Amino acid sequence: MFKSICKISSRMAPSACRTMLARPVMANSILAQRFYSANLSQDQISQRVIDVIKAFDKNSPSIANKQISSDTQFHKDLGLDSLDTVELLVAIEEEFDIEIPDKVADDLRSVGETVNYIASNPDAN
Amino acid sequence: MPGVTAPTRGQVLSLYKQFIKNSNQFNNYNFRQYFLRRTRDTFRENVNQKDPKVLMNLFKDAKNELGVLKRQSVISQMYTFDRLVVEPLKGRKH
Repeated sequence: MFKSICKISSRMAPSACRTMLARPVMANSILAQRFYSANLSQDQISQRVIDVIKAFDKNSPSIANKQISSDTQFHKDLGLDSLDTVELLVAIEEEFDIEIPDKVADDLRSVGETVNYIASNPDAN
Repeated sequence: MPGVTAPTRGQVLSLYKQFIKNSNQFNNYNFRQYFLRRTRDTFRENVNQKDPKVLMNLFKDAKNELGVLKRQSVISQMYTFDRLVVEPLKGRKH
């Protein structure tokens, strides 16, 4: 693992590599920073979430013709019931390679809430 | 018989989620679609079921079936299957 840190950082600053290994605490903070900066932007996430929703049920005209914004509610605006919502969240989980715990999934009722949750999840990619 | 309690909404949704997730894991298109269809149909069929006794039995049966589904999806992943013409080339599902 440290080798890969070394490789990443040596690309940025070749001389910094050794110092970082000698001070693992610092290396960690740089690593974390790097990963967070490589993280998805809010816009990217919401675009991908919207794509998943559009692809979710092509047969349903209520979704295909709707403008989806961050205020869009799964139940009220898209007409999804609880089973549909669960299925949609599974599709979103697979898109971002994360796992949404049941407790959190229960509270996700709109596109915006889902985007915020994904943005706060460091595993999302 | 004491202790006949219907499964809660959360329990049922969590079970549904596991069914969908495990069905998605099948490598073979036909199996995958079949289990997704079957899961949706069975859950929808009982959407308005109110009787706690029936609900408890359904829940118990579904749990057994989930076990079967999990085993079979793992077995399915041990084999490779050719893609069917109906399958999209990039990625899968949706």
